[in-house]
Amino acid sequence: MKADEATLARLMALSQAGDKLAYAALLDACQRWLRGYYSRRIAPSSLDDLVQETLIALHTKRASWDATRPFLPWLAAIARYRWVDHLRRLYRADEHELHEETMGTDDEPAIAARISIERLLGLLPPAQEQAIALVKIEGLSIAEAAQATGQSESLVKVNIHRGLKKLAHMIEKE
Amino acid sequence: MTMHRSSDALIAELVGGLEPVRPLRFGEGLGLALAAAGLSAVVVITLFGLRPDWLAGSVNPMHLVATGLYFGLALAATVTVVVMSRPQIGSDHTGWRWAAAMAALLPLAGLIVGLSGGEDMLSAENVRHGAACFAVGGTASLLVFAMLTVWLRRGAPTDPDRAGLVAGVAAGAFGIFAFSLHCPDNDIVHIGVWHSAVVLVMAGLGRAVLPRLIRW
Repeated sequence: MKADEATLARLMALSQAGDKLAYAALLDACQRWLRGYYSRRIAPSSLDDLVQETLIALHTKRASWDATRPFLPWLAAIARYRWVDHLRRLYRADEHELHEETMGTDDEPAIAARISIERLLGLLPPAQEQAIALVKIEGLSIAEAAQATGQSESLVKVNIHRGLKKLAHMIEKE
Repeated sequence: MTMHRSSDALIAELVGGLEPVRPLRFGEGLGLALAAAGLSAVVVITLFGLRPDWLAGSVNPMHLVATGLYFGLALAATVTVVVMSRPQIGSDHTGWRWAAAMAALLPLAGLIVGLSGGEDMLSAENVRHGAACFAVGGTASLLVFAMLTVWLRRGAPTDPDRAGLVAGVAAGAFGIFAFSLHCPDNDIVHIGVWHSAVVLVMAGLGRAVLPRLIRW
């Protein structure tokens, strides 16, 4: 099933009313959408865990969506929140290879761009964005990231710490 | 959290446990907060009585302006908290800051007048009276504070630190609004220092305590 805004919103409204069939279809579509959403922004070894954590968050917080509002910006806010939380808990990803999947909302590129993780990361100063991308997403060590960026090791650590803190305050920013 | 099951198994489990939910409505959140604030005001008036000038039908302008500013701040902060409980990329959570900047005139004016030597801010009588207002105003904040905590726990605030801070501001401002309906003191130093202290302390309490209660 195609994960477009109108379909997802309709399924979610039915799910809030307790329709299990609609909910199964919704979660399946969200699972695929989330894989695209997180692709290249999390180590492949962590992708399954993060998608599942987000589905659980969607389940427990499903009352926080209002049928009068769009669905994908709500789901993306939850996904970003779980993503930042995941990065904060992650010490080091052990794989460097990245998935090449596409976003599940190709038919709505404007919305997809506004709610994407790239957009969120792009709000950070370049040095913080780079440190987080290299260490927390691509899984380089602090020393490797320092070498790659020309920053000192302690500066890489500071940039990661400050960047993650800033991200946590900007989850809902476009 | 480490997962070991497949996503399909997880989805089956979540679908199996699905119960109908009542979506969080903006109007309901705001209405509950206003009801809690109204109840707090009624309790304060019942226990301590309404200001004498209200009963006499001639209201002091300083009291009106200050109480109105606290009410405006409380309302703006409450709206922000309710908005924060329903995550949405593109939501703005900054509106309350303008109300806070306006209300900040009260402590600022109070400190300027107090420090410029108009009166003894630290006299035993002033401190005793101020501390009493602070204690009752703080206590009158607690119902709104609890209500907003419950609301945020039902919702999904993506910035728990800020949500805690703003909920504290809302509760403190409603608390001192309620007590202002009793407190007969129209002095800007008393209002600016002691009444504003309730908002500041509740904001600090919200920032310190709420994030761990509302994180998800």
